[in-house]
Amino acid sequence: MTGSNKLTTKDYRKTTLRSYFLQNGFNYSNYQGLGYSLVMYPAFKKLYGNDKAKLSDVLSENIEFYNTNPNLLPFITSIHLAMADNGMEYKETRGIKMALMGPLAGIGDSLSQFCIAPLFSTIFASLAMNNIAMAPVFFLLAENLTLLMIKFGMGAYGQRLGTSMIDKLSAKMSLISNAASMVGVTVIAGLAATFVKMKVTLTYASSQKAAKGATTSTVDIQALLDKVAPALLPVLYTLLMYYLIKKHGWTTYKLVILTVVIGVALSALHILGA
Amino acid sequence: MQITLIQALLIGLWTAFCYAGMLWGIYTNRALVLSFGVGVILNDIPTALACGAVAELAFMGFGVGAGGTVPPNPIGPGIIGTLMAITMNGVTPQSALALSIPFAVAIQFLQTFVYTLCAGLPEAASNALKKQNFTKFRILSNTTVSLFAIVGFFLGFLGAYSMDTLRNLVGLIPAWLLSGLSVAGGMLPAIGFAMVMTVMLKKEFVPFALLGYALAAFLQLPVIGIAIIGLVFALKYYFAEDDKQEKTAGQAATETVSEEESRDDWI
Repeated sequence: MTGSNKLTTKDYRKTTLRSYFLQNGFNYSNYQGLGYSLVMYPAFKKLYGNDKAKLSDVLSENIEFYNTNPNLLPFITSIHLAMADNGMEYKETRGIKMALMGPLAGIGDSLSQFCIAPLFSTIFASLAMNNIAMAPVFFLLAENLTLLMIKFGMGAYGQRLGTSMIDKLSAKMSLISNAASMVGVTVIAGLAATFVKMKVTLTYASSQKAAKGATTSTVDIQALLDKVAPALLPVLYTLLMYYLIKKHGWTTYKLVILTVVIGVALSALHILGA
Repeated sequence: MQITLIQALLIGLWTAFCYAGMLWGIYTNRALVLSFGVGVILNDIPTALACGAVAELAFMGFGVGAGGTVPPNPIGPGIIGTLMAITMNGVTPQSALALSIPFAVAIQFLQTFVYTLCAGLPEAASNALKKQNFTKFRILSNTTVSLFAIVGFFLGFLGAYSMDTLRNLVGLIPAWLLSGLSVAGGMLPAIGFAMVMTVMLKKEFVPFALLGYALAAFLQLPVIGIAIIGLVFALKYYFAEDDKQEKTAGQAATETVSEEESRDDWI
C-alpha cells in the first residue's frame, strides 16, 4: 500500500471533535449521511486539497445513508481516515464504514442513552429535587465530560488499532453495559419508589365504634399501606406501566392519557391527593 | 408575575441553544437543563428546579429516541411548563408537567416536520459539490441545526410572550381538574421509569430492582448511596467476568499451541 500519510494525530483529534456536527444536517432521506461528509471535510481537504475534483467526489460519495451513535463515531472516522491516508479509495473503505454502523449504533445507543444518561439524569434530578441550584450544571458537566472521554477514547482506539479491535471491543462493551445496567436498574427502582407520588387521602370512620358513641376514630389507609410496605402504590403503578409496555406494546401516548385520566378521576373522588 | 420583552427574548435564545444542542448530543435538550435557564432568567430557581426535576424523571423514558426516532420533546415541560409554574398562581410543578404534555407532543410533530423538510438537503449538497461549491455544501450540511435554532427561538419566545393568554386559558380550568392534574403529574414519572426499565431490565437484573426498592423505601438512602451500593455489585461482576474472559482466551491460546506442538510431534 502506498500511502501519503499526510494526516497527523491532530487531524484525527479534530475529526473526533467534529463528531458533534454529525447531525447538523440530519434529515429523513439519508439521516446522518450529509453530516458524515461534514465531519470528515477538513481531514479530506487536507488529503485531497490540491485536487478539487477529487475532494468533491469523495465528499459526494460519503453523502449516503448513515445512522450510528455520534459518541462512538470517532472509532469509525479514525479507521476511515487511516485507510484513506494509506491511499485507499472510498469503495475500499466503504465496507468497514458500513459494517461498523449498525453494531456501534446498538452498543452506543444502549450505553449512552440507556445507561449513562438515565444514571446522571436521575442522580442530578434528585439533587435538584432537594433544591441544590447547581444540579443542572453538574448534570451537563458530568454527562458531557463522560461522553467526551468516550469520544476521544474511541477516536484513539480507531487510529491505533484499526479494524481488528471490533470483536474484543464488543465483548468488553457488553460487560461494561451489563455492569452499568446493574447500577442503573438499582437506582431507577429506588427512584421509582421515591419520586412517583401516590398518596391515599381516603380515610374511613369505623362504623362500629361510631355506633358505640366512642370518639370517632378514622382509619388512615395510607398509614396502613406504609406499614405493609412503604411506597407500595408507586411501585405497583410503575409495574403496571412496565407490564402494559412490555406485554401489550402500549405507546407513551396511551400511558400518559391513562395516567392523567386515573389521576384526575381518583383525585376527584377524593381517593388520591397531593 | 409579568415577563418583560427582554426576558422573553432571552428565553427564546436559551431554547434555541438547548434545542440545537440536541443535535450536537450535548444533553441541553433535557427538562432539567431547559427549566434551569428559565429559572435563572425569571429569577425563580427553586420553582424551576422542582419543575425540571419532576419532568426530567417523567421524560427520562420517552425523552430518548434510539436510532433517529423522535420522542415527545422536553421543551414542553422544560420551557412551557416551567413558565406556567413560575408565572401562574395555583399551578404546581406537577400540574405544570401534566398541562405541558400537549406541547411536548406538538413539538415532536414539528421536529418530524423539520426532518422531512430537510429530506432534500443531500441532493442539493451533492449538486453543490458537483460544481465544487464547498461553501454551499457546508451551509447545506448545517441547515437542520439552523432550523432547529430558529424553531427553538420561536417556541421559547412565543411561549414566554403569550403567557398572559395561556394564563387566561389555565384560569378557565376548574380547581378540581387542576388538583387532579397535579395528582396525575405526580404519577407520570412512573411511565418514564417503566420505559427505561423495559430496555434495561433483563431477568438477571431483577435482584437489583428489588435492592434499589428496598434501599429507597425501607432504608430511605439518598440516590447517590443507592448508586454506590449498586456500583459495588456491578464492579464485582465486572472484575469476575473480565477475569473469566481473559482465562478462556488464555486457555484457547494454549490449546492451539499444544495442538500445534502435538502435530509437530506427529509429523
